[in-house]
Amino acid sequence: MSDTLPDPDLIAALPRLRRYARVLTGDLNRADDLVQDTLTRAWAKRRLWRTGSDLRAWLFTIMHNVHINQFSLRQRQFAEVSLDADEGPLAAWDIPVRATQSDRLELVELFAQIGRLPDEQREVLLLAAVEELRYQDIAQVLGVPIGTVMSRLNRAREKLRRMTGGAYGAPLKVVK
Amino acid sequence: MKAQLPLTDDDLHAYADGQLAPERAAQVDAFIEREPALVARLADIRQQNAKLRDALDPWLAEPLPRELVDAAKPPRSRRDRGASRGWLAPALAAAAALVLGIGLGWIFRGEVLQQAGTPITFSRQAAITHALYARDANRPVEIWASEEEKMVRWLSKRLSFQLHAPNLNDVGFALVGGRLVAGNEKPGAMFMYENADKQRISLLVRKDGEPTRETAFRYALEDGIGVFYWIDDSCGYALSGNLDRAQLLSIARVVYGQLAALDAAPPK
Repeated sequence: MSDTLPDPDLIAALPRLRRYARVLTGDLNRADDLVQDTLTRAWAKRRLWRTGSDLRAWLFTIMHNVHINQFSLRQRQFAEVSLDADEGPLAAWDIPVRATQSDRLELVELFAQIGRLPDEQREVLLLAAVEELRYQDIAQVLGVPIGTVMSRLNRAREKLRRMTGGAYGAPLKVVK
Repeated sequence: MKAQLPLTDDDLHAYADGQLAPERAAQVDAFIEREPALVARLADIRQQNAKLRDALDPWLAEPLPRELVDAAKPPRSRRDRGASRGWLAPALAAAAALVLGIGLGWIFRGEVLQQAGTPITFSRQAAITHALYARDANRPVEIWASEEEKMVRWLSKRLSFQLHAPNLNDVGFALVGGRLVAGNEKPGAMFMYENADKQRISLLVRKDGEPTRETAFRYALEDGIGVFYWIDDSCGYALSGNLDRAQLLSIARVVYGQLAALDAAPPK
């Protein structure tokens, strides 16, 4: 029983794994390589998965570790480039299908802004805001204390807010 | 943040992300009401979240490379595919159908955005939303039913009109919770319900700028997901689920009945 993984769940998790890999690598091909390596490792380590626990968080943990081991050097060089470049590494990502022209511009801009975040902040932001993982699960995925997760999240949001020119008070109109 | 405030940055983030314990959330609620700056900051975080999800969710609908689907299968079945196909094939077909369904939805997204509020695209939007979140075992909703009152208040605020989460206990479905979903000009709200067999249904509520005429119940089958939808008082409702048509219709009637009763009640 514990000798296997629920592979329908694994397949269902694939789109999210790919998305996280794209955020980690900023590159489509390398993202798919990373997903592939993560899956291979997940099957090799399948006895470490506790039946009933959050499979997605476990897979993110493996992916994070594989990525750290394989790409840390390259990633660091990447980050240095992106600080100066007009478009961050994420600007090279595909824009989703048939976005209208103004949508497209907004997306390009948003991707560039996400790309300008330091890697560790971008990761936390994606896991918290987009994947909606619990903070303690994020801490486990990244292998850091929860306090570190919170301060990275705080800095990521603050930085992104400043890049988008948001000021406290402005969104009030939207919310009423 | 000033030291004497009873709130920390961590509280604010957890509150915005729906991760705060109910007691603490209630304290935060009470506190921020007196602090417009915090309300603004919260709104800012939530708007950022929504923007990020809107930007990155379309990736989930992209077709998966065959090698990745293969790598997700047990190593043995990859070597000995014939033996495992019997039980694996239905699971793969289901995953593929889902991906195709969501994919189609996104291909038509442009049209959905342009034809705001038309019943046909509304049902498709409802089915896509349902497909995306009903399968999520851990986080199908942003705010759980344990904080129903807070959830309804928050969603009402975001949608700028008073919402009600219908009570479907009598037909065997308990409220799981709710979330904000992308709409056309304005966001929509989704309430999710689950029965004892873990079957899920969801109610999408959306109101767009232009008043729309009322409609009778309509039914659509979108990629295997049944949707009953109607427009009432320029507000669109869509009930989606993998139930048979008659069962879904009877639940839709209950929803409609409850909302109509609320409308008939004198305003406070």
